Order: sequence, then C-alpha cells, then structure tokens
Amino acid sequence: MTHSLHRRGGEADLKNDYVLLVTAASGINHVGSKDKLRQVLEEVWKIGPTNIGSNETGTILSGVDIEEIRANLMDIPRVRCNFASKEKIRQAIERLLELDLGMSVTVSGPTMDILELCKEYGIKPHSVNFSLDIWGKKKKLPPEEALELLTMCGHSLISKILVEETVTKVREGKMSPAKAAIKIGHPCVCGIYNPDRAQAILARVAPHNEDSGGEGL
Amino acid sequence: MLIDKEKCIGCGICVPYCPTGAISMSDKKATIDQVLCVECGNCIRPRVVRCSPQAIYEPYEQIKGTPREVRRYFSDPATVHGVTGVPGRGTEEVKTNDVTGRVCRGEVGIAIEMGRPCIGTTFAEVEKLTKALAPYGIEYEEGNPLTHLLEDRAKGVFKEVYKSESVLSAIVEFTVKLEHMAEILETIKGTAKELDTAFSLDLICCFEEDGSVPALPELERLGMKPRANAKVNLGMGRPYKIVREA
Repeated sequence: MTHSLHRRGGEADLKNDYVLLVTAASGINHVGSKDKLRQVLEEVWKIGPTNIGSNETGTILSGVDIEEIRANLMDIPRVRCNFASKEKIRQAIERLLELDLGMSVTVSGPTMDILELCKEYGIKPHSVNFSLDIWGKKKKLPPEEALELLTMCGHSLISKILVEETVTKVREGKMSPAKAAIKIGHPCVCGIYNPDRAQAILARVAPHNEDSGGEGL
Repeated sequence: MLIDKEKCIGCGICVPYCPTGAISMSDKKATIDQVLCVECGNCIRPRVVRCSPQAIYEPYEQIKGTPREVRRYFSDPATVHGVTGVPGRGTEEVKTNDVTGRVCRGEVGIAIEMGRPCIGTTFAEVEKLTKALAPYGIEYEEGNPLTHLLEDRAKGVFKEVYKSESVLSAIVEFTVKLEHMAEILETIKGTAKELDTAFSLDLICCFEEDGSVPALPELERLGMKPRANAKVNLGMGRPYKIVREA
C-alpha cells in the first residue's frame, strides 16, 4: 500500500519530509536480495535518517537499533526510512546510484523537488503515484492540524486520541514538543514518520510555555 | 485482542494508543470492545504500549479461519496475507513498478484507499464502490487481499460473511487504459457522496520518454489536480519494464 503517500500539510511544511523506500519485487528479484538490502540499510544509516524501522521490529524512535532491523529483514526485504532535508535525500539517491543494486527505489515528498533531483543526477523516473486527495464523508475526519500528524503513519496506526492527549500536554506545558513528537511516532512501526516535522507541527499548533510546567512523561 | 483481567493492573497506559478507540477502563481494568477492535496489533507491541504485566494478548487460534481473521490483514502491517504473500493491505504498487510493470505506459493504476485516513471501513462500504465500478469490467489486482474477498468480481459483490467486518483501511486496486480513466474517476467521485467513510485516492502513471505525464491535463479538467507531494519510482530496479507487450 502507499503508506508514504497522502501526507497532509502545506507545501512549505512538506518541503522537509522525504520517505525513501528500497524494495525487492516479490517473485521477480527478491531471491538473494537480502544482502543488497542490508547494504542499503548501512549506507542510508550513515547519511542520518530522522527515522528508520521495520514492521518486524519497530523503529529507532521506539528504541530499536539498526543491527536489530538489519538482522530481521524479511525474505522479501524492504528498507524504509525518512529524511528531514532535501540535502540528505540527495545524498541517499547519489549513494544508491553508485551502488546500482537493481532494487526498486521510490522517494515520496514534494514532487517538483524530487523531479529536480532526478534531473540533476540524470535519472529518468519510471512512474509516479499521485495523491488525488481525500473523498467521501470528510466531516468524520479529525481537524487538519491533527491530520498533519496522523497521516505520517499511512497505516493509520497513530490514534486520534493519542494525538489529542499529547497536544493537550504540550499546550499545558506538561510535555515538550520534542518528547511529544517521539511519543506520537511510536505506533508507526515501519519507520517513515518524521519526528522533526512533527516537532515543528506541535510547536505551531501547541506553543510550549517553558515556564508553565515540567517535561512530564 | 483481549485483556487478561488477572494481569491488568488498571494503569490505563494502553487506552490512548488504540486507533479505533476500542480500549476503555471499566472497574479499574482495561477492556476491549470487540466490535471496534480491528486486530491491528498496536496494543500488543511492547515498544508501543509498554504494558509491564503484558496483560494484552491476541487470541489468534480463536479467530483463525473465521471472518474476523481478515481484520488483521487489513489493519496490522506486520501480517502477511496467506494468499498474496505480500505484507500490508495492497500490492507493492508503485514501489516496484519499474520491475513488475504493474502499470505501463498508456495505462493508469487506480487505488481507492477506503477508510484512510484514520476513519476505517467495513467491506459493506467498500462494496458500494466496487458495485458502482462493475459496468467497467475491471480486473482487480490479484496481489491485493481485498480481491479474494469478492464473491462475484464482475458485479463487485463481497462474500456475505465479510461485509460487516471492520478494518483500518482496504484498497480497491486496478489498472485500466488511460482512455477509461476519466469516466472511472467521475464514477468514483459520484459514489463518494454515498459513503459513510472517507477514502484517499491514488493514481499511478508512467513517465513518457520526454518526462511528461499524459494524464495530467485530463486530471486538471476533472478538477482532480494532484496534490504537491507524490511518490516517485526512480526506475533503478532490474529487470526493467515500462511497455506492455501485446
């Protein structure tokens, strides 16, 4: 599924939010791909992702280390991570081009910026998955500011209640935006949630008053 | 998921983590509403919900082989559906499109992600859309677990036993010729008004040799201009496929 697509937020806000997925195709080139994906993990880790994880282990935000993620790659392996700047995703693309492993690479983020990077590196992108927005009974949706956080987990594992409670704690000065951003990100097990962006969203929607309380949780 | 009442210490730490709001406190113990629970597994992941007495458990043997089992495949990304062998709720879609050629030039891939974001859906709701799409003779993706719950694919009718099952999201996924895109998207737009849930809509297109995307002008005409952020397949996979062989 397109768990990295459909992130909500303004264009300026989405500028620092890139999801990199490196995937072996089931039944076509997945046999023998584990070592290649392990190599990818090592290389992207050196660049400094803001998050990385796997469905099998969880994410670095929830206390998993890269070795555990590496050791638990599935037979049809995938690498999933988030970079919070265009410069870092540029480095990742450059390294993947050098490695030339024959695995599929997708980048989710601002379309024009991704295409600009492709042009810069002489990459002819194959295809694109566009988000044609949300339809149906939209009145059932949470407020847009909550959606900005909730849609960073495309599997819908982050709960509205967790976001509401955590935002309230930040607003009341019981928790810092940094801690709240990590706490909200724990349920996103595959590692594409962007805690840096979440912190910026929280600082905007629930300004933290340093004098009004402790760090709480 | 179920709570072992003997082990539960009533701390309530699990309550806010449930994406469907199924967990509540009663008589100083956590309790899970089995109608609302979609078996997503959030509450039993020790690094998510730090339930020290490990009072929450999945009674998998009880639900295995029952209609309820489908909840986990459409809600828990860590599960792998027995038929498709692919983790998650859909196919690898654009992730490996450079290798699979699931969508080639002259075609578009459409995915209707029912229940997303964060509302959820039943298969009865999904059926409203698949029935509306029936006149187009769509061939649904074999690699998507949803396809295997259909009783009559041509009519878009689901097996009765699954219709009331609730899941976090379910993806109606198929590929059609570009010339059929507009009428199908219009039908989807029209049916959206009849739904009791929301959906996120995806459209996969291949780039032409000159970098253009032929579907874009038509999308603009339909008032369905893509949002500013997308998912781009860089074309690094091998073997490479972008043209459908006759």
